[in-house]
Amino acid sequence: MTIRAVAAAALALAATVLALAQPPARRTDSPAAAAIPETETEQSYAPALVAAGERPYTAQCGFCHGLDAAGGSGGPDLTRSALVARDFRGDEIIPVIRAGRLDAGVPMPAFPAIPEDELEAIVAFIHDRKMRAGSLEGGRRAVTADDVQSGDIAAGRRYFETHCATCHSADGDLDGIASRIDGLDLMRRMLNPRLGQGQSLRGTPRITLTTADGERFAGLLAYRDEFTIALTEPDGRYRSFATRNVRFEIDDPLQVHFDLLGQYTDEDMHDVLTYLHTLR
Amino acid sequence: MIEPQPVFLRVSLLLLALGLASGAWAQDGVDPADFALTPTDSWPTYHGDYSGRRHSTLTDITPGNVHMLTLAWVFNSNPAQTIKATPIVHDGVIYVTAVDHLWALDARSGRQIWRYQYRDNAGFRIGHRGVAIAGNSVYLTTRDAHLLSLNAIDGSVEWEVEIADSDRGYWSTNAPLVVGDHLIVGVSGDFDNLPGVLKSFDTGTGELQWTFYSTPPPGTPDSISGGATGGQMWMTGTYDPELDLVFIGTGNPTPVLNGQVRPGDNKWTGSIVALNPDTGELVWGFQIMPHDTHDWDAAEVPVLVDAELDGEPRKLLLQASRNGYYTVLDRATGENLLTRPFARVNWAERIDSDGRPIPDPDKEPSRDGRLVSPDEGGGTNYRSPSFDPETGLLIVSAADAYGLYFFKPEHGDYGWAGASPGVLSRGFLRAIDYRTGEIRWEKDLHGGAGAAGVLTTATGVTFTGDSASSAMALRTSDGATLWHSNVGRVGNSPITYELDGRQYVVIGAGNAVYAFALPQQLVSD
Repeated sequence: MTIRAVAAAALALAATVLALAQPPARRTDSPAAAAIPETETEQSYAPALVAAGERPYTAQCGFCHGLDAAGGSGGPDLTRSALVARDFRGDEIIPVIRAGRLDAGVPMPAFPAIPEDELEAIVAFIHDRKMRAGSLEGGRRAVTADDVQSGDIAAGRRYFETHCATCHSADGDLDGIASRIDGLDLMRRMLNPRLGQGQSLRGTPRITLTTADGERFAGLLAYRDEFTIALTEPDGRYRSFATRNVRFEIDDPLQVHFDLLGQYTDEDMHDVLTYLHTLR
Repeated sequence: MIEPQPVFLRVSLLLLALGLASGAWAQDGVDPADFALTPTDSWPTYHGDYSGRRHSTLTDITPGNVHMLTLAWVFNSNPAQTIKATPIVHDGVIYVTAVDHLWALDARSGRQIWRYQYRDNAGFRIGHRGVAIAGNSVYLTTRDAHLLSLNAIDGSVEWEVEIADSDRGYWSTNAPLVVGDHLIVGVSGDFDNLPGVLKSFDTGTGELQWTFYSTPPPGTPDSISGGATGGQMWMTGTYDPELDLVFIGTGNPTPVLNGQVRPGDNKWTGSIVALNPDTGELVWGFQIMPHDTHDWDAAEVPVLVDAELDGEPRKLLLQASRNGYYTVLDRATGENLLTRPFARVNWAERIDSDGRPIPDPDKEPSRDGRLVSPDEGGGTNYRSPSFDPETGLLIVSAADAYGLYFFKPEHGDYGWAGASPGVLSRGFLRAIDYRTGEIRWEKDLHGGAGAAGVLTTATGVTFTGDSASSAMALRTSDGATLWHSNVGRVGNSPITYELDGRQYVVIGAGNAVYAFALPQQLVSD
């Protein structure tokens, strides 16, 4: 038996066990199945292409994203990924595989050397696993929107008003937030807004910088390490400086989110998250 | 696939035929007894020597001249492969690996002498740590958990054995540890409920000598693991020739996030174990991570240091463990002398009287999720630390991180059995005072958890990389940056060796290996 055969057998077994363990009423509205975003553009793949994708997927992607693409060590569940749901024949997935996501919370390495035909097969395999995961009730490593809403709405509202209302409002920027994003996605974005979709302008750190000659620059922080600092000026121009030659101040509008990570109790976190889920 | 460079091969064959070849290779090859010494013209084991300190006695490069460091050569891997391995150096040849690839390079120029590529297979492509050498052979593990002996001269395969069955979910990234005629090698495997396996093979024949199980094989009665499997020993151990003990860190238990089906401590997962190298028998064990439910193995390097503690000279073992705790053991007995966090932690309710951090039940993975520090990647990971005897600092690539941990019964009891997405991770280089566990200095790595290991030298220079795009040299005493080069994100642990009176520092970044040295004046003024 191959690894994948074992995993598939385990999956089938898990599905059987779940089917037996759960009362039928629960099964018909399985929250796990509901949490899988629908593939936006219908597409189908030849079984041979799916089969060809299994081996390169397993070797290159399986460790982080799981053998069944439902999440593994560090990498997200691809069967519940909004990006995979948007993807059509690799138009979203392939650029991510090639370029990686180096700035993600758990960075994804770039795989620039995977040949085109292998990429197509990997895409087919991911879509196939997504389809299968959708047909399973109570996916193996799924976290559903219901799972994370264990908090108290009133307590969450109070916490929100004390800690979040300086920058956010329930009938302003967060109006209807839970109809756009919910469950684990909302939870992770609430904790670290830089996760998930590309960085918003609003969340990008601003920098003001003064050179040794007294010349001043201001813009959005484009890059920073110990040696180099770069900004994007309002007209889009990129300028870099040697950090040792300049004085600068960085204002990260998301800093308060990162500070809160060290302050939340699990109860606080679930209260606010549960409250945010009422903003539909 | 073997691609010997024709000219080199012809010449060496000619030399052999004429009986002219001299020096270590043709005579005795590598003597593992030398691994107890600190090398200068070589880097013959994964850790450089047996101790795991990654500290070099070379003094050519100093805090005063390191700013002049310049590129001596670069090797671009072909086919392009991410370099995560520690290069192994002997007799002017460097052996560099990536997954299922091995290159033998000229240590003076980076020129390829030969290369070997293993056959395609279905094992996990995660990374590769490096080879081992002994006699005239180079030992390579493969992603489908096979072990190969190759002829060091031309890369031809001498023998191949299976370490563990990859169809069951085992794979290997391991750089083997050679002790006498023992080739000690571990495997990985977190996606299946598999016993933790460490094996010893004969360096000459590949014959299996012994097997150590960190968790019991199927059918073992009265096991102490509490039903847990796992505890894979996927990193290279260290060895004390005086005590004749091999020290190795064991992995996390499986199922990974579901702790309910494996009650108790789950020995010997999340532990440092001391083994007899001739028999594989357990002499002592210390569990730094009892009953793990967060994927925090204790596979990190057990660093062996002979130093004073509380006024007494001791044989110590230091480990900065993935769960965020630094621990000091007496390596003769396994007695714990100190346990203290070196990274952000919020999961332990107390340190027990044996020095073990005890998990807080409120931070166990749950249906609604728990916000836990560190994240799954840990307070540190495979990145090798270095111990500097002059300052008494253990310098570690650390991370302050937050992750979410989920488990519900529907996740089952096989393999991962839960979800553990990361939230935020920030990388720091931290210098830990070995006596007290205090952080003497730290350096922001400007990004997430780093990928670079650490090398210290006798002149007080530390080599590593940041999380952005630089290889760096630091002043060991305070972490001040003395030199850097934007070669890209460093992905391995730097090494150093001296040839022709010139000290080289070799660093892997991206798909390439870079050798730095001080400039040479080729013509006098």
